[in-house]
Formats: sequence, structure tokens, C-alpha cells
Amino acid sequence: MLNVNGINAGYGRAMVLHDVSLKLKEGETVFIVGRNGAGKTTLLRTICGLMKPSQGTITYQDENILGLAPEKLAQKGFRFVAQDKKVFSDLTVRGNIELAAYAAGESLSKAIEKVTSIYPDIQRFMDSKAGGLSGGQREILLIGRALVGDPRLFLIDEPTEGLAAIVIEDIFRILSRLKEDNVSALIVEQNLSVVSRLADRVFIMKEGKIIREISEKSKMANSTELESYL
Amino acid sequence: MASSTPDIPIPRIAATKRTTIYRDMVLIAAGFLVLIPLLAMHRVTDFMIFCIFVMSFDLLYGYMGRLSFGQMLYLGTGVYVSTLFSLHFNPNPILSLMAGVAGGAIVAGILGLIVVGLEGASFALTNLAFNQVGFFLVGSAFQRVTHGEDGISAGVEPWGFLDFANESVAFGFVLLCLLFTFFMLRILTTSPFGILIRSIKENESRVKFLGYNTFFYKWLTFVLAGAVAALAGTLYTLYIGFVSPVFIHPLNNVEVIFAALIGGAGNLFGALIGGVLFMAMKDSLSSYIPQWEWILGILLLVIVFWLRGGVTGLIKTLYLKARMAKGEAKEVKKG
Repeated sequence: MLNVNGINAGYGRAMVLHDVSLKLKEGETVFIVGRNGAGKTTLLRTICGLMKPSQGTITYQDENILGLAPEKLAQKGFRFVAQDKKVFSDLTVRGNIELAAYAAGESLSKAIEKVTSIYPDIQRFMDSKAGGLSGGQREILLIGRALVGDPRLFLIDEPTEGLAAIVIEDIFRILSRLKEDNVSALIVEQNLSVVSRLADRVFIMKEGKIIREISEKSKMANSTELESYL
Repeated sequence: MASSTPDIPIPRIAATKRTTIYRDMVLIAAGFLVLIPLLAMHRVTDFMIFCIFVMSFDLLYGYMGRLSFGQMLYLGTGVYVSTLFSLHFNPNPILSLMAGVAGGAIVAGILGLIVVGLEGASFALTNLAFNQVGFFLVGSAFQRVTHGEDGISAGVEPWGFLDFANESVAFGFVLLCLLFTFFMLRILTTSPFGILIRSIKENESRVKFLGYNTFFYKWLTFVLAGAVAALAGTLYTLYIGFVSPVFIHPLNNVEVIFAALIGGAGNLFGALIGGVLFMAMKDSLSSYIPQWEWILGILLLVIVFWLRGGVTGLIKTLYLKARMAKGEAKEVKKG
């Protein structure tokens, strides 16, 4: 489905990614883990067209997507949920969903239904300004909003970062739901407990390179063992 | 994804909005009517035309977050296209008005292709540069047609009851145009399109990630703002009947920027309040204080440092404080 091949990318002269390659199959939930500065976010940003690699290719369903604008990727079903949990803070929760529905040509009622299906509690905040939501609620809104339209591939950057344990469980439940629904996802995550419970495969990144790919269930199911690779 | 939620009651937003808009339009009309005994009918008509211009600027700056130093170009285009149309093609006021608005929209459509890809200072200054070019064309290059600094009289003739020499008719027509502009912009800014342009202001790259071609929406907003500014320009033509390069002078952009900031950007009521306050200050202060603009400068400093939301922002804050105080008082009473 997604094929990243020999990517080199960075900021100006400072190269962050060095010869990074990975493949993602349809319906897979793949995690990228690594310490801060390993290049995980840069990799996601490169895949979703925010950064241009100096070398390498990225294909999606055998089509070269390198250089495609973010809106074109979104139209192909890419959904990028960034790390900063930034919603459109001046708009209401409903406005945030409406914006996604309008882009996808979906009715607002159907879009709201999708978001509330993963987090019914959001109904209570529908007419509140999204800027007033907590970090966890924002993340849920962002993931829920990404469900609007016809999502094919989720690229999620650190969905549980900075959240309380109880909210992390909510996020975990939502990600599990995506997995059950066979939605392909490439997720950058530091919380190894979440990774070990959800991953089909794990890529370990260090200093801009993928140093290991783990696909054995026994190794992934043990977060302590995963940690030993970092 | 499968859904576990039953039918969700979606409120009839459109119906509610329309009722609110009609109520607001009545309020606005009443507000301008109240001003007539305080000022004079012809001054209130002037105020209303300026308010339409401020709304055009606010669409760009307040809603989409693009500060333009060149909005006078589109007002001027409306002024000159409608004047020349009335002189050389047809003296009908409605046709002249339509020609002026179309002219503003076309010029904004062409220049928009160049400027809407820009942001911040580049956007502001490129618009200013185009405005300067427009001023040169009207004042010098096409002097034979426009009569340059000497100005030119429009050839608009009365059409049925629509005689702009009649103060009441002019007032009524301009008020209708203002209410129509308010209605259209209110519908637009509260529609998904309006949500979209406000989101572009907040975070354009996130909007792109939802699948929007933001360039197209920014261009469309720019064209609409140009058309509304041109509408204000054509109303000057119809009402004053004499035009000169002062209607396209780049320096006059300061007035519309000040008015939008005084009223509170990103709010159509703010544009109207700012427009009226600015014109009232200009009228009254200039009669008593030579070089009155320094007061405006001080006012701008006050707004920048203490009143970011302008007058409407201040009203909102006071209202919220009053409501909170009332709530607290009730709590104490209950306790």
C-alpha cells in the first residue's frame, strides 16, 4: 500500500533521515518508536508531503506521491494527525467537524455520527469552542475528524503524548477501533504499552535510521522487551 | 466505520441564522435612521457607503487574516468603471452599478492570482504596489479618459424613481445596498465557506490537510472583497456624481484599516461600528482640531495595546463580565 524507499530528508543542510525505507500493507497498524530526535516526526512529515526528501521515493498504491501537495494526499485518503493537538480553536467542535465534512463532501450529520461513534461524550461539547477542550479531547476530536470522508491511511504523531493515563486508555480504545475496522495506520508513539497491545509491526528508529523491524508477536507484546531496543 | 450512535438531532442552524440576520438588519437600519437627526441625511449616506467599504476590508483581514494595504484600488475601480460606463455606454444607474462591481471583481480576479499566494508583509505591500500603479494609471497614464487630478463628472441619469439628486432616495438606496451586503456577507461568513476562510486565518496548512485547495478559496474571498469594495465605489459615483483620483489614493487605505480596527476585526458589526465611529471622528475632530490625525494615532495605540478586539471586543468583554457578576450574585443569594 505505502512504500517508502531510501528516503533522505532534513531541514536545510541538516539531514535528519538517512536512507529510510518501510512498507505498510493494507489494514496494518504499524508503529514507529524511538527516542526524541530519532527522526520519527520528520518521517511522518515527509510522507505526508510537508517536507521534500532530497533522495528516495514514496509510492502509495503503486503511484508516486512524492511532491504531491497535502490537499491532494488528503483527497487520496491520507489523514495526518499532528503531534501538537491543534484544532481550529476559534471554531466550535461542530465547526471543526463541519470543515472536514465540507471537504469530504459528506453530510454534517454523518460526519458527527462518525466522531460520536468513537467518543459519544463529545456531543456535550458540540457547540463549545474547540480551543477550550482538554488535550485529550482535542486529540480525540482530531482523530474523529480524520474519520470523516473516506480515510485510507492514518498518519498519527504521538497521540498519547502529555495525556493522563485515563485519557490514554480512551485513545487506545479509539486506535483499537481503527484497527478493528481495518484502517491502515502508521503511528509514531512513545508509550510502549499502547504499542505492544496494538502493533502489527514495529519499526525502531535511531539517529534518522530504521535500525530494526519487529514483526514477531511475542517480541511486540512485551513492552519491556521493546524498550530494550531503544 | 460502523456507527453505534443513533440519529443525532442536528439543529436547524440555517433557519435560526436567518431569523437572527433579519433581526440584525432591522437593528442596523434603525441605527442609521437614528443617526439622521444627529447628523444630516447626506452625511449618514456617506457613512453607510464607507461602512460597506469597511466590510469588504474586514472580509479579507478580519475573517481571512490577510491585511491589505491596497483595498482602495478596488473602490477606485468601482468609482471609475461606473463613471466611464455611465458616460460612454449607458447612463442607467443600475447598469453603471453593475458595471462598476463587475470591474472591481475582474481586477481583483486577475490580481488575486498573483497576490493570494503571498502572506504577511508581502501580501500587504504587493497590494499597496498594485494600488499605487492603479493611482498612477488613473491620475497620469489615462489622463485623457479620466481627466486626471481635475476629476470627472459621472453621466448617471435618473431612472424611474431612482434619482440620486433626491437625498431620501439616495439614502434609501444606499441603506438597501448596505443591508444586502451585510446579509450576503453574514450568510457567507457563517456558512462552511466562512468557517473555511476563518480556519485559513488560524492554520492554513491544517486546512490543506483536510483536502482543501486553499489557494482557490483565498482567491474567491479576495474577489468577493474586491467586488464589495467596488460596490462602495459605484455608490460614491451614483451619490456624489463627481470622481477624482482621491477615490483610488493609496494613502486612504489607512482610513479603512483604522475603521476596521476601531470596530473590531472579524465581525461585521465591528465593521459597521468602526465605519461610523471613524467617520464621526473625522467629521467632528477635523472641524475643531488642525491635523486631527494625531488623535487617531493615539487611538490606534490604545487599540493595539489594550483593546485588541476593538469596540465590539470591549462590548463583549463587558457583557461577559456583567453576566459572570450576575451569576456570582445569584450563587451568593442561593448560598
